[in-house]
Parts: sequence; C-alpha cells; structure tokens
Amino acid sequence: MKVYLHYALVLLIITALACGILALVNQQTKPIIDRNLFDEENNAREQVISAAKTFEKQELKNGKVYYIAKDEKGKEIGYTFISCGRGYSSDVQIMVGIDTDFKIEKIIIIQQSETPGLGANCIKPEFSEKYTNLEYKDLTVDKDGGNIKSITGATITTRTVTNAIKKDIYDLENELAGITFKQEVKDELI
Amino acid sequence: MSSFKELSKGIFKENPTFVLVLGMCPTLAVTSSLQNAIGMGLAATFVLAFSNILISLLKDLIPSKIRIPGYIVVIASFVSIIDMAMAAYLPDLHKSLGIFIPLIVVNCIILGRAEAFACKNGVFASLMDGVGMGLGFTLSLSVVAIIREILGTGKIWEIAILPQAYIEEPMLVAILAPGAFITLGLLMALINIIKDKKKAVKE
Amino acid sequence: MEYIAKILIMAVSSIFINNFVLSRFLGLCPYLGVSKKLDSAFGMGMAVIFVMAIASAFTWLINAYLLIPAGLEYLQTIAFILTIAALVQFVEMFIQKSAPALYKSLGVYLPLITTNCAVLGVAVININDHLNFLDSILNGFFGGVGFTVVLLMMAGIRERLEKAEVPKSMQGMPIALIIAGCMALAFLGFAGLKLG
Repeated sequence: MKVYLHYALVLLIITALACGILALVNQQTKPIIDRNLFDEENNAREQVISAAKTFEKQELKNGKVYYIAKDEKGKEIGYTFISCGRGYSSDVQIMVGIDTDFKIEKIIIIQQSETPGLGANCIKPEFSEKYTNLEYKDLTVDKDGGNIKSITGATITTRTVTNAIKKDIYDLENELAGITFKQEVKDELI
Repeated sequence: MSSFKELSKGIFKENPTFVLVLGMCPTLAVTSSLQNAIGMGLAATFVLAFSNILISLLKDLIPSKIRIPGYIVVIASFVSIIDMAMAAYLPDLHKSLGIFIPLIVVNCIILGRAEAFACKNGVFASLMDGVGMGLGFTLSLSVVAIIREILGTGKIWEIAILPQAYIEEPMLVAILAPGAFITLGLLMALINIIKDKKKAVKE
Repeated sequence: MEYIAKILIMAVSSIFINNFVLSRFLGLCPYLGVSKKLDSAFGMGMAVIFVMAIASAFTWLINAYLLIPAGLEYLQTIAFILTIAALVQFVEMFIQKSAPALYKSLGVYLPLITTNCAVLGVAVININDHLNFLDSILNGFFGGVGFTVVLLMMAGIRERLEKAEVPKSMQGMPIALIIAGCMALAFLGFAGLKLG
C-alpha cells in the first residue's frame, strides 16, 4: 500500500509542477495570442470594407456577432461579419463585408484547411472576387441551380462558403431591415 | 569528444526517420511544404532536448513502475510550452502545423529516446542525444519536403524553382496524401540501396 | 430516421472520405508496424476502436466540465494524454482479468495504443471541430473503424506479398509505404462523394 502511495505522490508532484509552469507560460502568452487574433480579424475587416474608419461591435437577437462599419464622418456605410461553415475537411471561416443595401462589397477567407490544389484554392482572389456585388438572391452554386461557378473538383467547399454567407445575410437583412424571403435557407448536413 | 558522437549519431547513423523508423505520422503529414517541415523539426528538437535533460535529471527520483506516465507528463509539458509559444510568436506556422503540434507528445521518437537513453545517461549526454535526434529528424523532414514541394508546386518557400509552365499545372499528388507515402517509400528504398553498396564496398 | 442518416454520413465520412490513416496521417506507426499478419491486425483494430470511442467520450467530458469552466484550456494536451494513458492501463487490466486468452494475443500491442496518434488525434479533432458529446464518440468509433479497415487491407496485402519477389532495397518499410500510397490514391477518389 505504501508503495502505491509513493507512486501517486511522485506523479502528483510532477504533474503539479508541470501545471504550475504551464500556468506561468500561459499568463505570458495568452495576451499575445488574443491580440494576434484581434489584429487578424481587424485586418480582415478593414480589407472587406475599405472606406471604413471605425467598427462598432453589435449582436443580433440570435447571438450572431457583427460589426457596423462607419466612415470618418461617423456615417454607417456597411456591416461586417464572419461566416462559418463545415467544408470538406475543415471549418471554413469567411470575413464578409456588405453595404447598407446588403450587397456584398468583398469577402476574404480567413481560415480553412481544405484539400491543397482543390478546395484550398478558395483563398485565391479569383474565387473571392466572384462574390463581389452579389445579393442574397444571387447566392447559389451552379450545381444547385444558381450562377456561382464551383471551383473545379471542390463543389463542397464552394457550396459551404456560399451557403454560410447566404444564411448570415438572411439573418441580418431579416433583423435589420425586416425583410423576409420566401425561400428559407435550410441547414445543410455537409 | 564522445559527446559529439552522441549528437552526430542522430543525424545519419541512427537517423530517427530512415533508420529507426520512428515518428512516421508527422513525417508524412507536415512535409507538404519546407516551411512546415523545418518548423515541425525544430519544435520537436526543442521538446526532445529539454525533456531529455529533465528526464535525465529526474531519473533517480521517478520509480521505475511509473516512469512512462512520468515521462509523458514531462514531454507533454514541453509540448504545451512550445504550442503556446508558437501560437503567440509564430501564428501562421502554428496554424499550418495544426493538430500535429500537440501530437508531438506521442511522437515515438521522444518517448523512445527517453526510454532508451535519457533514463540511463547523464544530463549532457542526454542533451546531445536529444539535439542530435532532433536535428536528424529535421533533416529527414526537410529532404522529403523539398522533393514534395518542388514536384507538387514547383516552388520552395515561395521561390520558383521549376519553369512557370510547371507551376501552372504541377504534379498535385505530390503534396497530397499518396505523394507523401510514395515519396517516403522511394527515399527509403534509395537509402537501402546506398547502404548495401557501402556494405559491398567494405567487403 | 434523419438521425440514422446523419450517423451513416458520419460513418462514411470518417471511414472513407477523411480516413484517419490515409487522409489525416494518424495511426501510422501501428499501421506500418502491426500490419504483417491478419489476425494480429484484427485484434489491434478492435482494441483501437474501443479505446478511440471511450477516449473521445472521456476527453470531451474533461474538456467541457473541467478545462473550460476553470479556464485551463492550456492544460488540454497534458490532461488528454494522461486520460488516454490511464484509460489504456485500465483496459489492459480489465482484459487481463476478464479475457486472458484475448490478453495473451493482444498483450504487447495494448500499451502501444497510448502512443497511437489516432487516439490523441481524434480527441483533439473533436474539440477543434466543436463536435457535441455524442458526435465525438461516433467520430472516435468510426475513426477507429476506418483505421481497422485500412489495417486489415494492408495486412491482407502484406501476407500475399510474402510470396512475391520484392527487390531487396524495397523489402520491408519501402514497399509497405508504396502500398499505402496506392491505397491513399484509391481513397482520394472518395473526395467527390456527395452526401446529404
């Protein structure tokens, strides 16, 4: 019995010391990590609505976070939000900037780990440019009957991006402008 | 100096990837680009060096029956440290390496060296062993990555190596999963041929 | 009914489309090391499925009810690997007591499951992909099944390979890797599978 107690004590001491050291390292690095994330998002926000000088954080009733973009005179010129969808092999996150008429100004893919050479091509400008000036009604992939041409060999990634943005624009237009659409966006399984 | 031998053996004679055949998972996963390969190699070297030191220091204090969980805690701590450090100071590399950073803790190389060397040898020798194995690992990762990245994208670290026509339509499979397996397999066969030739020359 | 469809989709996804070995590069050491004989491969596979499913459950609970509420996410690696090590230890003791014949045939492979990157890998993937409790267990289970399927295929091929004339430099690891590469190439074909 005494032997097991000795084992448990040794392991406990080692683990406690380890946790202590990690807590210290965490204290030093967490603020930097948080700052990195914030800078990255802020950077993306500034890229999708180029004329904006300030961003004000807001929340929809369903909890969705979005930012109101204002120019140097304080006038509201658009909104930004992060759309997220499950792609082929990873979550895909898109920073979307829309104007006050809910028309897309620009999108940027900020996170993805799709297949290199196929779905990962979604980060290329030729892809994101397809979304500029689109509205809710234009957001359908060609394979689903719409006009957005899928990336060769990466229909799933294209569909994920399109539908994720579509859902969020729907929610925003719904709450901010009271507009409802006849065709609901259903939650895709994949 | 015998300590130098501890360091150099990890690079060629007892290369963890090609001779000991350890650490296969990261070898195949992170070698799609040279940047990832070197990043992973150096991160693993950090963990190898420091856990070898600590385990060697603690070798008389940890009872033999619980040595494996004990080593695991030590290794996991250093993996967590390098994980947090990379997230803070090298966020892009941290993102590309993804789950393979925490997976360093189950990289058989590290636990293997702790078991085979650090628990039986002095601190400085263990440090040399750890650094040597880590550098050997980094070297093999880099070799595989260079081949895969050139064939798969035509570039190395954003510098174009092959003609533009190739860059437009590269051999994509090289940076995908099958390319990883086949490249490593062919490299190992090549090394076997070289080893056999050396043996034949000796005789 | 829709839930059964969801489970099937998860199964196909984890076993074929994002196979843990051939697509995610997890579980390679046992895949290349234990796949020489069909029956040992089968035993290893079963053990891995079991451990992956249970490990997914335990690590998810620890993450949700201990690490996150206490703000200790940075201890995730330590907590997870210790949980897995403890789990494998218990599974080993349990099998030794309740099924000694099974223990004899699996014996040496059981402790190795602790360092199988597929187990820690799936635990981390469950958290990163924000899966709920049930989906995490299913992901672990089907991931293990995918591992076993590929392991059995490899063992079958390698058993046949014993009788073939493999060039000396290719014998052992190189030919195993090339075979794995061909299998990976075949599985890449599942990338176009449309589900749902």
